[in-house]
Amino acid sequence: MSDSLMHSGWWLWLAFVLAGLATHIPRGSFIVAGSRAKLPAGLQRALRYAPAAALAALVMPDVLLVGGETQLTNPKLLAAIAVFIVATRWQNAWLPFIVGMGVLWSAKYLIT
Amino acid sequence: MNDAFRRGAREGFFHYLPLSIGLIPWALVTGVAMRGAGFSVFEAMGMNIIVFAGTAQLGTLPLIVIGAPMWMILATALALNLRFVIFSAAIAPAFEGVSRWRRIISGYLLTDGVFASCSPRMLASTDKDWRLGFYLAPSVWCWALWQILTLIGVLGASVLPTNWSLDFMASIALMVLLVPIVSSRPMLVAALAAGATAVLLHDLPLKLGLIAAIFVGIGAGFLAERWATENMNADAAS
Repeated sequence: MSDSLMHSGWWLWLAFVLAGLATHIPRGSFIVAGSRAKLPAGLQRALRYAPAAALAALVMPDVLLVGGETQLTNPKLLAAIAVFIVATRWQNAWLPFIVGMGVLWSAKYLIT
Repeated sequence: MNDAFRRGAREGFFHYLPLSIGLIPWALVTGVAMRGAGFSVFEAMGMNIIVFAGTAQLGTLPLIVIGAPMWMILATALALNLRFVIFSAAIAPAFEGVSRWRRIISGYLLTDGVFASCSPRMLASTDKDWRLGFYLAPSVWCWALWQILTLIGVLGASVLPTNWSLDFMASIALMVLLVPIVSSRPMLVAALAAGATAVLLHDLPLKLGLIAAIFVGIGAGFLAERWATENMNADAAS
């Protein structure tokens, strides 16, 4: 590691530990606090929507945006549509990966 | 380790196994990026074990490389990990009756993939040993796979192909998780509202758009649920 960019070895490890704390305190928060920190029932019901919201928030920008613009004929969107069709019709968990990557590569090859 | 734990562990492992291939591109990319930042193999694997979070590792790397102030590294990592507070609160009831040490280990192991795929069945089960097995087996598998694949990325940084769009496999894994969840109308509303918000706010720094999108999605799903039950009650009354 070049010393001009990073201060020293311990500086780097301190940065790792801080990033680690910033990861594991949120992760452990309610799991570790347990029943002493119970959320109100209404909030707990609302939190059932967290996984769906987080997954869609992670996927949709990746699929819809190309260089910051929405573009409807991009290979990722075509592949995503194929993945959705396969995942709704069949229970096979490997198939979406095979079909998704297949459509992505074919579309890239055909469009560019 | 009783029978229920072992049964839960086996079921959880096979439930999560196919989805874990979504980790492959993420881990490889993270390994390559840490090598690109100039870390030694020891430093890269140290960060990988201490932080164990692809988004936080990739997000703080540029700051570490320029020698940014500590508070900025801390704040960035916190912003990228805020979603885990929501996940932790949502999954916490499943750890009722589990010893403190196991809960601390479970917290360290919490990842997006295991949370999304395992929490619905965990929260529906009444057996605490089964739940713990159903959580720990896929989580430990995820941890081990992450470490091994990142090491491959670190060691193979110069020879891995970059033009195969392998990163899209991570998005496929997220979609595979999403499809069964959005089978009810309020869940679908939550997903669409969150997705649209994330697209609109993608320019915000530090992934704050992602956090905002999660909140909007939760709110929209909650409202859709209340609207649906109120309609049902109105129908029953008329």
